[in-house]
This record gives sequence, C-alpha cells and structure tokens, in this order.
Amino acid sequence: MVAINEELVRKVVAEVLAEVLSERKASSTFSAPSATSSQVANMKLVEVGPAKKGTDPREVVIGISPGFGTVFHETIVGVPHSEVLRQVIAGIEEEGLKARVVKVYPLCDVGFIGKIAANLSGSGVGIGILSRGTAVIHHKDLPPLGNLELFPQAPLLDAEVFRSIGRNAAKYAKGEHPTPVPTRNDPMARPRYQGLAALLHNKEARYVDESKPPMEVKVEFLK
Amino acid sequence: MAKEINEQLLAEVVRKVLQETLSGKSESALPPKPSSGVRVSPQDYPLLFKKPEILRTPTGKRIDEVTLENVLNGKVAFEDLRITPEALEYQAQIAEACGKPQLALNLRRAAELTKIPDERLLEIYNALRPYRSSKEELLSIADELENKYGAKINAAFIREAAEVYEKRRILKGMRPFEL
Amino acid sequence: MAERKRSKRFEVLEARPVHKDGFIAEWPEVGLVAIDSPNDPVPSIKIENGKVVEMDGKRREEFDMIDQFIADYAIDLSVAEEAMAKSELELAKMLVDVNCPAEEVRRIFGGLTPAKLTAVMKHLNIVEIMMAMQKMRVRKTPKNQAHVTSATDNPVLLACDAAEAALRGFVEIETTVAVNRYAPLNALSLLIGGQVGRPGVMSQDALEESFELKIGMRGLTAYAETVSVYGTERVFLDGDDTPWSKAFLASCYASRGMKMRFTSGTGSEVQMGAAEGKSMLYLEARCILVTKGAGVQGLQNGSISCIGVPGAVPDGLRVVAAENLLTMACGLEVASGNDQTFSHSDLRRCARTIPQLFPGTDLIFSGYSAVPNYDNMFAGSNWDIEDVDDYLAIQRDFKVDGGLRPVTEEEVIAVRNKAARALQAVYEELGFPPITDEEVEIATYAHGSKDMPPRNVAEDLKAADRLLNEGITAVDIVKALAKRGFRDVAEAILMMMKQRISGDYLQTSAWIDENGYVWSAVNDPNDYMGPGTGYRLSQERWEEIKNIPWAIKPEDV
Repeated sequence: MVAINEELVRKVVAEVLAEVLSERKASSTFSAPSATSSQVANMKLVEVGPAKKGTDPREVVIGISPGFGTVFHETIVGVPHSEVLRQVIAGIEEEGLKARVVKVYPLCDVGFIGKIAANLSGSGVGIGILSRGTAVIHHKDLPPLGNLELFPQAPLLDAEVFRSIGRNAAKYAKGEHPTPVPTRNDPMARPRYQGLAALLHNKEARYVDESKPPMEVKVEFLK
Repeated sequence: MAKEINEQLLAEVVRKVLQETLSGKSESALPPKPSSGVRVSPQDYPLLFKKPEILRTPTGKRIDEVTLENVLNGKVAFEDLRITPEALEYQAQIAEACGKPQLALNLRRAAELTKIPDERLLEIYNALRPYRSSKEELLSIADELENKYGAKINAAFIREAAEVYEKRRILKGMRPFEL
Repeated sequence: MAERKRSKRFEVLEARPVHKDGFIAEWPEVGLVAIDSPNDPVPSIKIENGKVVEMDGKRREEFDMIDQFIADYAIDLSVAEEAMAKSELELAKMLVDVNCPAEEVRRIFGGLTPAKLTAVMKHLNIVEIMMAMQKMRVRKTPKNQAHVTSATDNPVLLACDAAEAALRGFVEIETTVAVNRYAPLNALSLLIGGQVGRPGVMSQDALEESFELKIGMRGLTAYAETVSVYGTERVFLDGDDTPWSKAFLASCYASRGMKMRFTSGTGSEVQMGAAEGKSMLYLEARCILVTKGAGVQGLQNGSISCIGVPGAVPDGLRVVAAENLLTMACGLEVASGNDQTFSHSDLRRCARTIPQLFPGTDLIFSGYSAVPNYDNMFAGSNWDIEDVDDYLAIQRDFKVDGGLRPVTEEEVIAVRNKAARALQAVYEELGFPPITDEEVEIATYAHGSKDMPPRNVAEDLKAADRLLNEGITAVDIVKALAKRGFRDVAEAILMMMKQRISGDYLQTSAWIDENGYVWSAVNDPNDYMGPGTGYRLSQERWEEIKNIPWAIKPEDV
C-alpha cells in the first residue's frame, strides 16, 4: 500500500487548486476535456462509439467512471487502472465469458455505473468501477442502489480482489450462486482516506457529462 | 404558568395550521375522527398502559386478549399485531398537543395507509422514486388512493409530487441519460 | 541533492497515530468546507398569501425540490417573520440562556430557514453548543445505541453479541451485513439475541430502503434508521429518492406501527461530488428541515459515514456537534453519530465524543460498536467493545450518564449462552442449517468472528431466502421459541409486537423499558433550565455507574 501522507495530500490539493484556478482564468464555464483516447500506465483506452445493448448472454459489461484510465491512472492506494481492468477481465475470461468495457459519463456514482453496465450487458450482469477503486457487481433487475456484491472500501481492493470480482460476476452471469468475494474490513481506512477520497471524487466529478451516452471502449494493454 | 399558556397557544396554532394544510377550508376541515370519537391527550400516554381499553387490534380484539396463550392456540395471528387507523389518530392527537404538527400529519397519512396491502404499498413507494413514473401514472395512483382507500391526504400529497416531479424533470423518461 | 537533516523531535511526532489521519485544506468551490462557504446563501424569507415566495435569496419559481419541500412543510409561517427578524447573535444566545425554556427556543427556531439556522451556529463555541444540547435535547434521559455486526455474518455470534449489548444497557441495536443476502438472518439473530439480553431492546437492519421496510413489516425488526436524506437535489436523486418519496416511506413505516428516523450528515454531498459549493452545515440544515417537514420523529446525524470529511477540514468537529444541536432545536430526536472510525489517534477519538457524551443526547452513539471493530460491518465505529471499560470509567470519573452499565463476566456468559441456544432452537424448528452445540459453546465465550468455526455460507443463504420468501414472521418465531421452552423470550418478542398496536413508540425519542413501557419526549420531556433541573442521575443509577467490578473496595484490602 502506498502511504498517503500530508505531503502527498498537499501535493494533490495544490494540483487541484492550480487546475481550478487556471480553468477560471481560461474561461468562465468549465468544459470537460475531451478524453477520447489516452495512453498512460501500460494501457490505451479507445472509444469506438456509443455503447449498444448486448445480446450475448455470455458477456459481462464493465462500466468505468468518467476519469478512469484517462484523467486518473491508479486507485486511491496506487493499483494501476491498467492492472484493475486486466484483472477483472481475466477473472471474467477465466470463467469462459467475454468482457466488454464501457465508459459511463453521466455520473460517477458506483451503484449507477454498475447498473448502467448491467443494463447494457447481454447477461444482465455488470460491474461498476470508480477511479478511486470502489466497485460493485450489479444486475439489471435490481434497483440502482441494490447490488449482487458491493466493495465500498476502495483502499482495501488489490489486484487479487479485482480478479475475484471479475470471476464472481461471470459466475452470476452463468446463473450460478458463487460464494461472495470475502469482504475485507479495515476500520482505519476511513480516517486515512475519506477526506482524500472526497477530494479526488470532486475532481473526477468535473468530468461528468450528463449529455454524453456510455461509450464502448476498446482496451489495449501495452507492455 | 407561562409554560402552560405557551402550550395552549401552540396547540391553537397547530390546529389552525393543520386545518389549513388539510383542506384549505376552516372549522369543518378537522381530520376524520376515529369512529370511537375518543380524544386523547399527552396525559393518556403511553396508551398501552394508561388507555388500553381504547385500543383494538385490526380484527377487533382487545389488548388483554393479545397473550402468548392466544398466539399459541391460534386465536391471535400476525394480522392482529398491527396498528389501526384509530390508534394512529390518537398518536396524532398527542403529537399535536406536544407542538408537533408535522409528526401529526405523518401519522394521519399513515392512518390512511393501514388498509393498503404490504406489496401495493411497497410498489407505490417505488413508483414515487425519481424517474420511475409518468405524471399520469402518479395521478392514477393518487386516484386509486383516494377512491379505493379513502386516502385523501396521501392522494393530495402524490398529486403535489407529480407537479414537482414535472417541474424538476424527474418523471419517467426525463433522466438525462439512459439507465 | 543532499538529504535534509531531520529534527528528532519532528520524527517522533510524525510517527504518532495522528499523522496517519488525513487532513485536508478547505476547498470552498466544491463545498469542501465545514461552515461559512462564500457560496452559502444569505438568509431571507418572504411570505405572501400564506406561501413562502422567497427563501434564502431564491424566488419560489427557482426553488429546487428540497427548497419547496422545506418552505411548504417545515417552516412555521406563523412565526417565520418574527424569527427571521431576530439577529443571529440573539438567536444563539437563546440557545444557551438557561432562563429561556426549550419550547420557546423551538417555537422561534421553527420559523428559521436553513441559511439562518446555519448562520446562528457561527456564533457558538463548542462549550456553548454543549450547554445548548443539554437544554435542547428533547428527551430528558440520555440513552445509547449499539452496532452488532459480524465480518462473517455468523448468526450465532450475532445473537450472542446482541444479547450482550442489550445487557450492557444499549436501548437500540443496529446490524448490517457483510454479504447482502444474509440480511434476513442477521435481523433474526438481533431480534432473538436482543430480547434475551433485555426485553424491550429495539433492533434494526440497515439496508436498502424497500428491503428494510419489507422485513420490518414481518416483525423481524422494530424500527428503521438508514433512511437517508441529502442537502442537494443532485445527491438526493443519486440516493434514488425525493423528499416526497421519503416522506411517503416514513408514513409507510408508521402505518405498520414501526418507529423510524431519517439519516443525514455533514460531508455526504461533497463526498458524492455534488455539494454545489455550499458548506457542509448549510446542506445539513436542509436535511434537518426535510426530516422535520416529512413529519419524521427523529434523525441520525453527526456526519455518520462521512465523518472522515468534516474530520479532515478545519472546524469540522465543532460543526458536527452543531448539526446535532440544530436537530434538537428543530424538535427532533437525535441519534448523534460517533458511530464511525475517523481517527487513528485515541486522543482525537475521545475528544470527538465529548460534545455528545457530556451534555447527553437521545442516543449518544448511533452506534457504539458492541463487537470488535474488525467485525464492524459499518466499517468500524469510533468506539468499540474493546474500549468499553474506558467508557465505563469515564461515566464514573465525570458522573455522567453515557447509557451503559457495568456488567460481570458471569452475567455476560449467561445471556450469550441463552441467546445462542434460543437461536439454535429456532433454526431447528424452521429447518434451517443446524447450529451445533460446539458453535453455541464457542460463541458463548467468543470475542469475535475470528474465534468462530466457519459455517456453510451457501446453505445459510438458502435459509435467508426461505425466511424472506416463505413469509416467516415474528409470530412464527414466537411460536418456535415457546415450543422449545424459551417462553420468556417468546413473551418479550410478543410484547414488542404489541407495541405496534398502540403506536406509543412512534412519538419523538421513544425507547422501551423491560416492562414494555415506552418513554419518550411526551412523558419524559427535557425540562432543563439550569442547575437543579433537567436530567440528574438518580441515586440508583449513580450506584450502578460507580460500581465498576474492577474497582478495589476498602474492605477487600
């Protein structure tokens, strides 16, 4: 785990403030920077067009938040976004299913992103992931704030957990009732990360675009 | 002494506000009284101990009939262990006398909802969530509440919600993105 | 670059637990500020023909749904103009003036807008807030609530911990899940365990709104609390509700004779990225008024699960106490937070609780973790069971009623064992996966889930589905318990169900004693008006608090 210390927090705050101030100077209305393609941290996300509703019952759709892999490149504890996607996709494929990635723009609430992914998924099962790492396994027939499995504590999610999330989502898609991914619980994650999480979330929230539909994303992992 | 005068004044104000809220008319617009016509005050509280004789189960049983024996021999069933509109009206009167008109109004809305089956009640709640219903659907729920269950306060409340939802664009199909 | 030479003093300081906490500078543009954002509106009200036509600088046609709900349901128009004309300083003084009765404060505060309520809080320091809480808390006697959860959702352990929590004096116990589908079984464990520990304890299962209502209707829970409201329209909608749907939900609960309170708290809106640049306290004031307008008897606030946010910014914890106070000033029951980890520092943890513990609130914690924090599925509470003897010592040191009582090891073992056996019997009667005698024994003496052997989760989850789908109710549980010789527990659950017929516990700040007698703001109103008035420890209660079992008695030496 990457330790978050005061210095890092100061750095992020300074960065955010600088950005806000420069935007203010540049124009009075903020417009989200175009993020059609990006290549950082061993991964390239290419948007190929608005995401369509799938018909293949053997697919699981992964919904990622507006800044995932483009504005942000790692979770709150430093798991690279490329690694997050790699593991989730591998988990799904391990179960013999296909993964499809969509970028969700209209909001950055993990429940809704998961629900949107589930609605687009041919199997009805979707995964939602925020830049900071928070994740959910969702089903199209559940209410937006319901879930099959929820992983609210982003600081506790590592590569192994992300792989299990992919695996379990695929199992639900096959109609199985898997044993839920073991819940980790670190009561001290909140004191350390919650303020920072709020800061990061507000930064990501500025890339929300209510008018932009979910976009199909082609993921290229680079070595 | 000053305290008592305050309470009286407060009760007056509460009664007035409630009358206005409930109908916009005056005098005759007091909320429907329980069929027993009993009125209670905070001195009668808690009713279970101080006024058990005025309480009934929905099937008309007295409180002293609600015993473990009667549960075991089947005379008292789960359906008996529910609140009646009358009991909710008593609690509303107590809330009102304590200077809590909003709580009283909530309890009176609740009194109207006692007759609605659990499943339907959950459906109506879900229909009131954002982006779930068209205006027509909400208005038809309001009609159902009013005509089928005599739930006038709730009907008005849902009609008001329909207006607000239209104005704030949170009716079905108005979500700025597809879900 | 040469390495900077470090001060040994600073190296020691940086190794202290407080340096693991996140501290964040204010960012008012997005609302990352506790109170007094430059974007907060200036208080105002205009009333025409019995309707609010302007509130806090916004004309009626510009109202969002929260503004409209507050203006039409929460604000007492008969007093609004008089109240809004008073200066914020004068209003702040009313709160602390022992000669000004609480009901007069509430009459005036009933006419204040969210911006005005917020502005009043700028004038009170933390000690004044505590003085005001002592007067404004609606029920005279302070009480406490516990969290009872398990990292493995172990049903036996949950029943034992529920029983122990009840024995220790908590009047409410709240559970949630590690795995969602376990929810009905967790509710069952708390129902049975709680009534074994002390008849009258109220239990709840914090889950998705409609699910909570469903299991409440079955009598498996006694009340609900996790019915969330938010201070901006965007976040309210992201929470998948509106003030109208939430108010309707409140009436649904009352229509089934069930107590409920709403939940809100500073920091939630900025945490969800949509605070509109408003301060945390201003948005919370809106939540409080939505709650009042909905006619809900009470509110859980004090930042709650977002405590890391106000906890990270300047003035955050004073503001958290201020939001509790505003809730009281609006005549609502308050379950005052302290229910989530927010610091690595024991000193900060304790300091954060003092503003609620010393003056007393309706429920000082919402709740206190009655299990070790590693088992706390609310992601940890500010205090857990391992801190409980410290808590008892503090009650004794300051002669303050924190709602808990000292217990002996023998009593605890006895109620835990009985709870486990009662649950074992009910599982057998319902044909649920068996609870072995070995599990009963281990859970009786356990500290947490790490001590427990694993259960067959897949089989338990099938039982959870059955509990839900077969329409099993509290009456079935009563019958099972009576059949298996647990008549007293059966009687206690029946007594809880009887409360639904009278609805006495729907009144503000209600709790139920071991005889089934309801105490609330109606028959135990707070009458504090300075020394000699309000809540004072009875001799009996003081003897109880004094007698911690590990104190050395002169005659023993």
